[in-house]
Amino acid sequence: MPGTLSWEASRRRAYLTGLVPALVVLAVITVVPTLFLAGASLTPLSLVDPASLFDFSNPLRNYAELLHDPRFLGSLVMQLQLSALTVTLQLAVGLGLALLLNVRSSFFEAIRTVFLIPMVLPPIVVALIWKIIYTPDVSPLHRFLDFVGLPADSFITSASTALLAVAVADTWQWFPFTMLMILATLQMIPNEPLEAAKIDGANHWQTFRYIIFAYIRPALIVSGLFRLIDSFKAFPLIYVLTDGGPGSATEVTNYYAFVQAFNFSYWGYASAIAIVLLTGVFTLSWAAGRLGWNGDEGE
Amino acid sequence: MTDITDIIRFRSGNAPLALRWPTQRFLVRVGLHVLVAVLALMVLLPFLWLVQMSLRPEDEIFSDAVLFTPTLENYRALWQGNFAGSFLNSLAVSSLSTGLSLLLGVPAAYVLTRWRFKGRARVALWILTTRMAPPIAFTIPFFLAYRVLGLQDTVWGLALIYMTFNLSIVIWFMQTFFAAIPESLEEAAWIDGCGVWRAFWLVTLPLAAPGLAATAVFCFIFSWSDFFYALILTRTNAMTAPVAIVNFLQYEGWEWGKIAASGTLVMLPVLIFTLLVRKYFVHGLTAGGLKE
Repeated sequence: MPGTLSWEASRRRAYLTGLVPALVVLAVITVVPTLFLAGASLTPLSLVDPASLFDFSNPLRNYAELLHDPRFLGSLVMQLQLSALTVTLQLAVGLGLALLLNVRSSFFEAIRTVFLIPMVLPPIVVALIWKIIYTPDVSPLHRFLDFVGLPADSFITSASTALLAVAVADTWQWFPFTMLMILATLQMIPNEPLEAAKIDGANHWQTFRYIIFAYIRPALIVSGLFRLIDSFKAFPLIYVLTDGGPGSATEVTNYYAFVQAFNFSYWGYASAIAIVLLTGVFTLSWAAGRLGWNGDEGE
Repeated sequence: MTDITDIIRFRSGNAPLALRWPTQRFLVRVGLHVLVAVLALMVLLPFLWLVQMSLRPEDEIFSDAVLFTPTLENYRALWQGNFAGSFLNSLAVSSLSTGLSLLLGVPAAYVLTRWRFKGRARVALWILTTRMAPPIAFTIPFFLAYRVLGLQDTVWGLALIYMTFNLSIVIWFMQTFFAAIPESLEEAAWIDGCGVWRAFWLVTLPLAAPGLAATAVFCFIFSWSDFFYALILTRTNAMTAPVAIVNFLQYEGWEWGKIAASGTLVMLPVLIFTLLVRKYFVHGLTAGGLKE
């Protein structure tokens, strides 16, 4: 071996060569933008006034304005409604199907794969599929409703049903996720407690409530949190189906930030909204970590 | 092992009855199969509807007839228009971003698995958190920076922002695969005079090849499926297929056959690739998974 480096030292150097480039690139494309975002949120930066990037004279003006912006406050309410609706629906449908499909047979294994299809489709294709379903001219749903004598207007053009229509589409796309997580947990339940419950004369409901539910509770919480975090990022469905409307009936916070940044070019203000979102998402991720989502499996 | 009859007995709740009458047990079993098959069909209906629309001749899009002569006319029209270009853009951006992410991420994942340095857990956690951030948080700074750097509406610019999620995917997935390979194999290579990276290249990487392939497929799928970044950071030159679909919807909203065909074309590679990596699927979606 040439040189004066010991094996340990040269190994450490080799390791650094492998690790540092990735960390530097990741820092440049994630940490730097986040810091920039935080900085921009303190300025009145916009398309008409690009020089104001360094105007920190009234740093909290955007955040103060947010508190008095009815459209922003409304978007928070929309966001909470949409999140609550989608997470609940996805957990309910996912749990129901997981219990139904928890059978070891080749037929059920094959059909499980079929149920996964919606989740792997590109979000824009899901949005397109539901655009078709909510467009009476070409929709199988509206044809069916006409057929049974219950013709209806498109569900996405009415303010009272638009949010629910978006939630249904989102549930169709993501129930396979909760289903998968719950199924995986169901399959890890040992037989003994189930046998014991049967011997003790527990009925169907009691067995579910006290044994199965106890086992799948962590999976329910964690998959619910995962979906909750993701629900703050909902975009393609809303963009394609409703464009935030009718009025602002489906304008959730993420969408409002998009509108402020890329329709109105109020970049400073939009950055402040994005920081609020970022804070919410990280708080939830932290909670997810505390509740049993293993953030460091490599250990 | 529980077999199917046990479960059905357990499900039906009235075990003695079910045991006494095998026919009833049989009926429950058939009923369960039928129920699940019907549910699967209902879930798939919206998806199948899109596919059949793409195959309908133009004059039959609005017709109620169940039977029709399928045609590839819609696909041909797409291919002769601008869609082919955006499809190729999607391919280029996804491949480029996947390649770059693997190039940087695979060695980093290997080091994070093998080198127990102080602060390792913190670095690993930071890499994972980057994936949780809402895309809008990255889009605003990237949009403004690209205006200055001239990277707007370029394949390279889009491939770079896709690395914000791809790099962490690579680093996380590959760690699990590397951890499953015994260190003693590398140590043997070191003793034979191999350097760290030579041993990695000759011994570790070939053993991790299936994992590497699965990771590459995941990166490709995530990049391919992106809509949000592409919508904001491209206009015409680097427009990807998902954005092209939306343009169809907005400007040619009456040509449902063509629109359905574009949707089918965009989801086709994803469905094929997903079948290839089915085994790693659950793992891929939870990135780290549940505590056991």
